Amino acid sequence: MNKTLTLDMNRVEGDLQVKVSVADGVVQDAWMLGTMFRGFEQIMLGRAPMDALVITPRICGICGTGHLYAAVSALETALQIPSAPNGTRVRNICLMAEEIQSDARHAFLMFTIDLCHKRYANMDGYSQIVEAFEAFRGRIYRATVVQTKKLLEIVALFGGQWPHSSYMIPGGVATLGNRRAIVKSLSIVDAYTQWYEREVLGCSLDRWLAIQSEDDLFAWLDEKSEHRNSAFGLFLGFAKRIGLEKLGRGNGNLLSYGVYFDPEGFQPPYRDRVCLRPGGFYDAETQTIQPFSQEHVAEHVKYSHFEGEDKGTHPSCGKTIPLFQKGGNKYSWAKAPRYRDQVVETGCLAELYMAGDPLAQSLFQKGGATVFTRQICRFHRPALSLVAIRNMLIALEKRFLDSFYEPPKEGLDGDGDGVGLVHAARGALGHWVGFRAGRITRYQVISPTSWNASPRDSYGRRGHWEQSLIGTPIQDESDPIELGHVIRSHDACLVCAVHFLESGRKYSYVV
Amino acid sequence: MLSLLWIQAGACSGDSMALLSAESPDLLQALEALHIEILWHPSLSTVSLAFVAEPILAGERPLNILVIEGAILTGPDGTGMFDTFQGKPRKDFVLNLCEQADVIVAVGTCAAFGGIPAAHPNPTDAVGMQFLREELEGGLLEAGWRSKKGLPVINLSGCPVHPNTVLQTLAFVATGAKLELDHLHRPAEFYETLVHQGCTRNEYHEYDVEETRLGTAGCMFFNLGCQGPRTIATCNAILWNGQSSKTRAGVPCFGCTSPSFPRPEDLFVTEKLGSVPTRLPLGVDRAAYMSYKGLAAAAVPLRLTNRKTKF
Repeated sequence: MNKTLTLDMNRVEGDLQVKVSVADGVVQDAWMLGTMFRGFEQIMLGRAPMDALVITPRICGICGTGHLYAAVSALETALQIPSAPNGTRVRNICLMAEEIQSDARHAFLMFTIDLCHKRYANMDGYSQIVEAFEAFRGRIYRATVVQTKKLLEIVALFGGQWPHSSYMIPGGVATLGNRRAIVKSLSIVDAYTQWYEREVLGCSLDRWLAIQSEDDLFAWLDEKSEHRNSAFGLFLGFAKRIGLEKLGRGNGNLLSYGVYFDPEGFQPPYRDRVCLRPGGFYDAETQTIQPFSQEHVAEHVKYSHFEGEDKGTHPSCGKTIPLFQKGGNKYSWAKAPRYRDQVVETGCLAELYMAGDPLAQSLFQKGGATVFTRQICRFHRPALSLVAIRNMLIALEKRFLDSFYEPPKEGLDGDGDGVGLVHAARGALGHWVGFRAGRITRYQVISPTSWNASPRDSYGRRGHWEQSLIGTPIQDESDPIELGHVIRSHDACLVCAVHFLESGRKYSYVV
Repeated sequence: MLSLLWIQAGACSGDSMALLSAESPDLLQALEALHIEILWHPSLSTVSLAFVAEPILAGERPLNILVIEGAILTGPDGTGMFDTFQGKPRKDFVLNLCEQADVIVAVGTCAAFGGIPAAHPNPTDAVGMQFLREELEGGLLEAGWRSKKGLPVINLSGCPVHPNTVLQTLAFVATGAKLELDHLHRPAEFYETLVHQGCTRNEYHEYDVEETRLGTAGCMFFNLGCQGPRTIATCNAILWNGQSSKTRAGVPCFGCTSPSFPRPEDLFVTEKLGSVPTRLPLGVDRAAYMSYKGLAAAAVPLRLTNRKTKF
């Protein structure tokens, strides 16, 4: 006998209703209902292309830096505007700062508090978990609030404020070069690194980065009590005990656009996406990484509250007119993006896997994409990024006298079609823009959570989370914490799963 | 203890994220010092909203402070189905909570005035809690609506609102200090400073050194769309993240605390009448301003002409 559970999920930055059918204590089927629509694109239509730099970062208060980076890149690719290398360095520094703080806030404010659930009260180490991770009171929880905001000072030093600034402009950044900002940012990075080493990892970044495989990881855990008692050590031991490695396996396809453009290498004609962390598509069937190409992105709307045909459409030509119906097939305000016609997962794991990170690759090859693997990657990525942001700041200081901004030779008052693709903290983020005579005629965003939280597509294939939930054991139907583990392991961000209107029509409504 | 319930409607979470970056005191310290208990917040809570809301809606649990973040989406066709909670319009859920709250705080320009979702052509029929853009009419609640404590919705506009403004307003509420509200129902204490005040570029404005392109040191008011001299906000008085502000970083002020944000004109361009902006600094007379500008330009020191003064 199947029973349907409907949950309103919080700590997913936005609105998500999860519907699952359960039989014999196991999830049989799942539906993800994105429950909010704000219509950002209709607002963009007819506006100046530059206005995208003000309006689109405000799609999301969490990854606004990612949106700004994607928006400015879309304008630059549209008109083949070169970007001053120092401008790209500043963009990378700010996106890295956002990513590092986001990983900590996600891990400790959104994810690990679920380990304090009373379900686990009889497990070994529970009291230590609560002491460290409990909401509002836990030692690490409180330290995370204090530490993460300091990283955001770096964004403010270069961009004025976090969140919601518009300092990335076609040709570079608006900020004048200033050594104080660089030196101060370095000291912020160093102070955060010290905290991360002492409290989160229990070892130096050097020791941590020597971990190249899952075996190394557990050898590291056994090595010292400092490792075991660190925030990560507590998580790792407890995660195994409660079986997180068995939860949340998707179909194994991974997608990353790549991130942190090479300041000199990513320039017109913008054909090769030269990145510090290269992107790609991991095809689970052939077990190979294939080069990423944006032509293979398509969105489906058969099960989403939008008008459209029963087939995928590339974001540069899709029609997206909201069509709210009560009853019927359509059940989500999120659309269903597919890559090479396949359901994919995006996020931190995908980013590190495609970038060739040995630990991420080892964990994925041994255990697959699970709650456990994703969450370890989210502790691991900041260690890589703290080194990277430091190097980027030093490179900026060395080239300090070079320009931070090259004014575009041509204004944005003509025609253009551009694509801006970055990997935000939560995964693959793309902006597709078109403008004619200096007015935006279409604007389409596919956010990371659009990929992960996708509903069914034209062929009825479930989205990634929908697939990942099937088979999940539910111990207590009145409190299915397991579902929360799976969804939150993706660092969900529903406010970002925006849906864009294209035509001049306001909306249509069918009862 | 004062109870606080934080609801997001048509929101981006930016006001919440800004609040997590509050300086001194930080969010957790402030809540403890003010004896405020967060009953529920979408990013922070472990329990479900329905569980928390039920006794409040039944009048069995007092709700001292209701915070709303995000615009209220009333479409399509007045149904509110663009934003639902448990399959029902969120606007109705918010209305029911309003009946139970001692004090209601609209956090951010979206909740106060409609903000970006309510910008032309307002595809979701977004409104603010008690205002629709400049008008005390067309919001979710009627003009004369008052909370249990006899207050209209307190508007803390800004995209995002400065975290200091949120925490200090809560401090006023918690301590019972009187909050004077301006004509837009914003606490005057936090809305009587122009962005221009404290802008590190305002000496350039004084001497009429006006930039025509971004990435420069001078004033952005005449040509680059900066709304600093017309916008009431503490950005350059209190600074963001304890460090800087948009105008200091070379980004024009877009007037995000104003009910008209985002304005329909191009955001990086100043509309002009001849060589002078159509909209002058707040309260300034055109003829007097033009003669002052002429004199000021003649007195410009070389260090400004040569852009030697920089932040």
